[in-house]
Amino acid sequence: MKLHYRIIGRLSVALIVILTVWAGLFYFALMDEVNDEVDDSLEDYSEVIITRKLAGERLPSHNNGSNNQYYLQEVSEDYADAHPHIVYTDSMVFIKEKNETEPARILSTIFEDDDDRYFLLTVSTPSIEKHDLILAIWYWIMFLYGALLLTILGINVWIYRQSMKPLYILLHWLDGYVLGKENRPLTNPTNITEFQKLNSALRRSTEANERIYEQQKQFIGNASHEMQTPLAICRGRLEMLMEDESLTETQLEELAKVYETLDHITKLNKSLLLISKIENGQYPESSDIDLNVLVRKYLPDYKEAYGYKQIRLDWEETGTLHVHMNETLAAILTTNLLKNAFVHTAEQGHIRIHIDNNRFEISNTAEGGALDRDQIFNRFYQGSKKEHSTGLGLAIVATICKIYAYRIDYIYKENSHCFIFFFF
Amino acid sequence: MKILVIEDDPSLREVIKSSLEKERYVVETAADYASALFKIEDYSYDCVLLDIMLPGGSGLQILEALKKARRKENVIIISAKDSIEDKVNGLDLGADDYLPKPFHLAELNARIKSVIRRNNHGGESRIELGNVCICPSTYEVQIGGKPVEMSRKEYDILLYFVNRPDRLINKQTLAESVWGDHIDQVDNFDFIYAQIKNVRKKLKEGGASIEIKAVYGIGYKLNTHVK
Repeated sequence: MKLHYRIIGRLSVALIVILTVWAGLFYFALMDEVNDEVDDSLEDYSEVIITRKLAGERLPSHNNGSNNQYYLQEVSEDYADAHPHIVYTDSMVFIKEKNETEPARILSTIFEDDDDRYFLLTVSTPSIEKHDLILAIWYWIMFLYGALLLTILGINVWIYRQSMKPLYILLHWLDGYVLGKENRPLTNPTNITEFQKLNSALRRSTEANERIYEQQKQFIGNASHEMQTPLAICRGRLEMLMEDESLTETQLEELAKVYETLDHITKLNKSLLLISKIENGQYPESSDIDLNVLVRKYLPDYKEAYGYKQIRLDWEETGTLHVHMNETLAAILTTNLLKNAFVHTAEQGHIRIHIDNNRFEISNTAEGGALDRDQIFNRFYQGSKKEHSTGLGLAIVATICKIYAYRIDYIYKENSHCFIFFFF
Repeated sequence: MKILVIEDDPSLREVIKSSLEKERYVVETAADYASALFKIEDYSYDCVLLDIMLPGGSGLQILEALKKARRKENVIIISAKDSIEDKVNGLDLGADDYLPKPFHLAELNARIKSVIRRNNHGGESRIELGNVCICPSTYEVQIGGKPVEMSRKEYDILLYFVNRPDRLINKQTLAESVWGDHIDQVDNFDFIYAQIKNVRKKLKEGGASIEIKAVYGIGYKLNTHVK
C-alpha cells in the first residue's frame, strides 16, 4: 500500500467522523434557531390577539391570508389553574379553508381579562414551511460537507506529493540499483533536512556495500587464481609418482584416491574462478543463440554418461527459444542445468525437459522433499550431498542469469524438482 | 628435441622438467624474465613453454621478442590466469597453444608433440604408433595398412591415447577430454568402459602392435611394447 493512499485513507476516516459530528451539531443548532423563530412569530401573533381582546378591539379574521390560525375560547378557572399558561406543541390541525389536516406548531396561551375571565388562545402555524426550510438546510449542509471533505483531501494529496518528491526520486533510484553493476549516481537536490540525511545515508551505505562486494569478488578471484599453480604442482607430482613402475597395486589405488580428491579441488577452484570471471564481465561478446540446439547437442552425452541410471527422459519442443548471450555462457548454463538434473535423479527416475518460445523447463524426480527455494542458488548449498558434485553448478547458473537479468526459478511440484529459465 | 621451460615456480618447473625428460626431451629452464631472454637470445629451441606472469616482466613480452626476431620456436603458453583476453592476446602474438593451469602432464606432453608435429610437417601429418596410423584430416585409421572402421567416439579415444603413449590416463580426465568438460561429475564410468571395449576389440582384430590396458582403480594406459 502506498504511503499517500494510507495517509489519505486515514485522513478521510478522521474527517468523515469529525465532519459528520460537526454537520450534525450544526444542523441541530440551526433547527433550534428555526424553531425559536417560529415560536417567536407564534408568540407575537398571540400577543396581538391577546392585546386586541383585552383592549376590546375587533379580533382579526381566523385566517388572515397566511396559514396561521387561532381559536379563542373561554375556560373555567379550575382549568386555568390545572394547566400551564404557555404550552408549545406539535400536532395535527384541521385547516378549514383547505379542508384538510396538516402538521402544525401550536401555542396555547391561557390568559385572564379584567373581568377575571379565563381564555384559552390556541395559535397554530403549519409546519410545512418549516419542513421545506429544514430540507433546504439539510441539502446545503450535505453539499458543504462533501465539498469540504473533497477540498481538504485534494489539498492534502497535492501537498503530500509536492513535499515527498525527494522521497520518490530516492525510491526510484533504489529500484534501479543493482549491486556490483554500473549505477547512475544519485542526484536528488533537496533542502529538507530529513531527505538530505536520507540521501547521504543511502550514498554512504551503497558505497560501503560496493566496496565490500568488490573486495569479496576480488578475494575469491585472487584466492582461486593463486591456487592454480600449487594445484598444478600437486597434480604433476602425483602423475609422475603414479607412473612409477615399482608401485604396488594398493599403493597405486591409494594414490588414485588422492588424485581424485585433488581433481575435485581443482574443479571447485575452476568453478569459483568461472563465477568470478562471469561477475567481472569477462564474457562480453553476445550473439543470438538457439537453446534448443544446445540442448540437442549436449543431451546425448548425458544420456550416455548416465545410461546406467536408466532414467526415463521426456524431451519436448513446442517452440524455439532464442536467447541473446555469450556463446560459452549459454553452453555453461545449459550443461549445468542438464547435469544438475542427471546427477540428482535416482536410478529409474524421470527427467522432463520442455522448451517453448520463452522458457526452458527441466524437472527431475526428487529423492527427498522440496529444497529451500531461497538457498538453492547459493554457493555450496546442496539438498543431499553428492560425492562428485561441486555444489556450484546452480550458483553458476544463477550468476549467468543475473548478469543478463534473465529469470531462473525453482518450484517443487508432483514430487519433482523443477527449474524454469525464463527469457523475455 | 630441446625444450625451454619458462616458469617462476621452482616446484612446478621441476615437475615439468622431469616429466619432459622422461619423454627424452632435453630440457632447459628459466625462472624469470631476464634469464629467459638471455637463453632465448643465446640458444634456439624446438619448443618453449611460457608462463605469463614472471618476475621482472610478462611472458607476452618474451613472445613478442621471439616473433620480432622471426624465430621459429613453437610456443605454448601455460598460465594460471586462464582469461580469454590472455589467450586471445597470446595466440594473436603467435603462440601455438594455450594451456591453463592446472594441467595434466600427459596433456602437456600431447600438446608439445602436436605443436612440434604441426609445425614440422605443415599440418598435414599422419600419426603413427607401431603399426597403427591415424590421419586426423580425414579421420581415417589404418592398422598394418588396412583401414579400420571406427565410430566418432572410438576414433576420439584412440587419438587421445595415441597422442599419450605409455602414459597413465585417468578415466575422469579421459571422459572430460573426449566427451567434453560438461561431463565432469559422473560417478560411474561404464560408458567409457563400453567404448574402450570396442576400441580394444578393433585393435586386436586388426592385429595392432599397441594395446589399451586397464589400470585398476585409475584408468587406462596405451602400451606400445606388446610382445
